[in-house]
Amino acid sequence: MAYNGMFLPPEADPRKDGGAVGELATYRDYLTNYRLTLELKCRDLTPEQLAARSVAPSTMSLLGLVRHMAYVEHSWFQRGFQGRLEEPRPFTSPDDPDVEFNGAVGTQECVDEAFATWREQVAAADAWLDTRTDADMDAQITYNSGGDTASARDLLVHMIEEYARHCGHADLLRECIDGRTGQ
Amino acid sequence: MTLTGGFEPHPAGELATYRGYLDGHRRVLEAKCDGLRPEQLAAPSVPPSDLSLLGLVRHLARVEHYWFRMVIDGHLEETRLDADDPTGGFHSIAPTPESVAEAFARWDEQTAYADACLDQLTDADLGGVRRDRHGQDLTVREVLVHLIEEYARHNGHADLLRERLGG
Repeated sequence: MAYNGMFLPPEADPRKDGGAVGELATYRDYLTNYRLTLELKCRDLTPEQLAARSVAPSTMSLLGLVRHMAYVEHSWFQRGFQGRLEEPRPFTSPDDPDVEFNGAVGTQECVDEAFATWREQVAAADAWLDTRTDADMDAQITYNSGGDTASARDLLVHMIEEYARHCGHADLLRECIDGRTGQ
Repeated sequence: MTLTGGFEPHPAGELATYRGYLDGHRRVLEAKCDGLRPEQLAAPSVPPSDLSLLGLVRHLARVEHYWFRMVIDGHLEETRLDADDPTGGFHSIAPTPESVAEAFARWDEQTAYADACLDQLTDADLGGVRRDRHGQDLTVREVLVHLIEEYARHNGHADLLRERLGG
């Protein structure tokens, strides 16, 4: 592998290499880096490759992961943190709880829709995060309609670990598509 | 389908939250290995990847040793585990009961060390600065969040490795 196991040279890697000061800044750096990681894992692939269930029997695909993360961003940042329960949820279906994955098909239209929706949710999440400070991290958030609560910190660390775990899935999905590893 | 499951709140406080996540991910990896024979644990079950569940256990012992012993506790003069393996613990994995026992014993040893290290910390220490082996300074907080995301990413690997082995 070129570049010490990475497919991009270090100067072309858009991710930040540490150095955050403060709690919220640390979470935001990790979150941003993982969003970029998922995007990098999808780079240079055709719609068919993006939709490939390349680690069967798993029904996951890279495109399914992008759709799923759009749903996850909306679930936590809009519904969980801000209580916007009335908004339509991206990539949901009353007939299929796994429609993010099952509805991922290898067309340019499906790819464009997934990335546009994901980027829209990321931008909305970042706009809300811009209004927060370290002093908000202990705040108790009622994150579902059942009245369950958790600290803002807990939910943000959860976002990071959820992205990280799915990027682990993305690592193997990508390697099985064209052998690319790294990043 | 291998989703990450439901969210369960963690104890209040910054350090307690990190410890909750770290423990949770260690338990996930343990569960992913549960009930498998040595040859299954050592199998690269998602080729062309050379990852295996046992390789992940060895790798994470190395990761725990590096971050807790060498970085947080400042013993950068020590040698990393599996230093002679350019893949960081993923190669040279024998599909034998001895190899499995050794990997898990080493992982247990490192997590016990890590927990003792964490017992000495409080929330007030999380902004403290440490230096890594590349000479880069980073906060204890960054190290702990990094450990959580590194475990989580490897557990993503473990999800698919295990799904291929059944279960």
